Amino acid sequence: MPGLREVPDEPPPFLGTWKNVYGAVLIYLVLIIAAAYAFTQALE
Amino acid sequence: MSTIDWIVLFATLVSIVAYGLYRSRGSDTVDRFLLAGKTMPWYAMALSIMATQASAVTFISTTGQSYVDGMRFVQFYFGLPIAMVILCATVVPAFHRAKVFTAYEYLEQRFDSKTRALASVIFLCQRGLSAGLTLYAPAIVLSAILGWPDRVTILLMGITVITYTSLGGVKAVTWSDVQQMCIIFFGLIAALVVIIRLLPQAVSFPDALYLAGAAGRLNAVTTRFDWNDRFTLWSGLIGGTFLFLSYFGCDQSQVQRYLTGSSIAQSRLGLLFNAVAKIPMQFFILFIGAMVFVFHLFVQPPILFEAAEAGRIQASRAYRPIDDQYSQAFQRRRQAAMDLLAAHHARDTAGERQRVDEYRSAQRDLDDVRTQAAMLVEDTGGERGYSDTNYIFLSFVTRYLPVGLVGLIIAVIFAATMSASAGEINSLATVTMVDLYRRYFRRSAPDHHYLMASRWATVFWGAYAIASAGLGRKLGSLIVAVNVMGSLFYGSLLGVFVLAFFFRRVGGTAAFLGMLAGEAVVFWAFFFTGISFLWYNVIGCAVVILTAFVITYWIAPGRRAEV
Repeated sequence: MPGLREVPDEPPPFLGTWKNVYGAVLIYLVLIIAAAYAFTQALE
Repeated sequence: MSTIDWIVLFATLVSIVAYGLYRSRGSDTVDRFLLAGKTMPWYAMALSIMATQASAVTFISTTGQSYVDGMRFVQFYFGLPIAMVILCATVVPAFHRAKVFTAYEYLEQRFDSKTRALASVIFLCQRGLSAGLTLYAPAIVLSAILGWPDRVTILLMGITVITYTSLGGVKAVTWSDVQQMCIIFFGLIAALVVIIRLLPQAVSFPDALYLAGAAGRLNAVTTRFDWNDRFTLWSGLIGGTFLFLSYFGCDQSQVQRYLTGSSIAQSRLGLLFNAVAKIPMQFFILFIGAMVFVFHLFVQPPILFEAAEAGRIQASRAYRPIDDQYSQAFQRRRQAAMDLLAAHHARDTAGERQRVDEYRSAQRDLDDVRTQAAMLVEDTGGERGYSDTNYIFLSFVTRYLPVGLVGLIIAVIFAATMSASAGEINSLATVTMVDLYRRYFRRSAPDHHYLMASRWATVFWGAYAIASAGLGRKLGSLIVAVNVMGSLFYGSLLGVFVLAFFFRRVGGTAAFLGMLAGEAVVFWAFFFTGISFLWYNVIGCAVVILTAFVITYWIAPGRRAEV
């Protein structure tokens, strides 16, 4: 059975580095939890 | 269902299978059959990952859960973005660089063959158990709608999935997943629009939100800490992170999806798309259940949503008084809802507070009568601990949605089942072939031999899933059952991968014994404590690491390299 080919690593298509992309995802998480909390408080 | 619904249903299903098989042309080597020759773009992986995770259970059970308990379940997904970031930074590049077919193959490179074998067997046990459940969910659909026996539906679905998975491999699975997710998104949006349009003229969308919120159906975030509460902000953030680290980092059904990426960047983008899209998607599905609840504030729902059981208990002498109480309780709640809305519109704050209490009290009374009906199911020889949560959304779909949309929603549920089931069967076959058969039975054979072995393993696991599907009937809320089953095994798998990636001094024997200890403690917690299942992942992982540390640094410090 032949081995698998090497796949390249590339920079992300936006925000320059992967660290910036990860940071953006975590900020998004904080914002979405805050929005869900506000939604709960406003409607309950 | 009408003829148009049948046409929509079958046209959708046939097009999914045909498209998947068309895109899988050329899957004639093991590399292409199991990993699509590492050629997949990020968006195909992203939708395939999402489709594999979102089984029919997601749509049937989640909507029912928000109908009866509100939207707290969404917190379960708060750990997902954290887990995805950790995986993208560590596991994804490591697996790609190791050039492995499976996650467990990596464990032999890092530790030894026994650790790889144990992890593979744990995966086969866990995923094999849930493969049956994945097929069982749509069987509920057709048995509820057509009165078909569950087994016929399970057999039809299972054979379809086995056919395209064994012929087209992971490429067929991935491309059919892409189409399935598009249909799922379209079907869900259409369902929500129709539900909102079905509300009484006097009830606006903000009114619907207000009534759902007052009944506790929009409680998306619970900030208190409680070990025994399954869905809180903390169990979601901490327990959820561990669960999703395990699921996406150690479960071959997910790992295999992103190993098909044409580059490390494409695999990362596929996972990060899920990190961003999954919480809104779950929120949306739960919201549909909350809106079905509001609809039934004004239109009396059946006392039990499962038509067969509702029909059966009608023969009991105890049924009539319960049914009368139910009608009265419904009328009282309907009136309480209308009074509450009137007070809300009049901006009468004091009156509104009083009306809210009455509305909630009426809701409790209605719930109590439904509990009596569920107990009657038990008393008349039905299932113990009976729950009709999984029937709520489907009951609504078949009774109130317009012609054509019913067929589409049923197709959505079938599509979700096929995508989840295909992903599971494909990964079970891959682990069986790569980690067990090739490793222990035929170490050196032509590529064609392993290709055929992969196809036969796919057929075997498909048949196993069909045979074990009946287990679902005994498991109450299916979405919870699936996640409980996963949590029994994921903690140990995660623990051994944490050791592999972050603790270079720990050897194979310590990792192997750590996994055994982790499983023992998790099963003890499951059988003998009331700890919520989300914490099993944390506990299992911690015990594996702790045990491996004790062995490495305390029991056998002089023989570190050997253990």
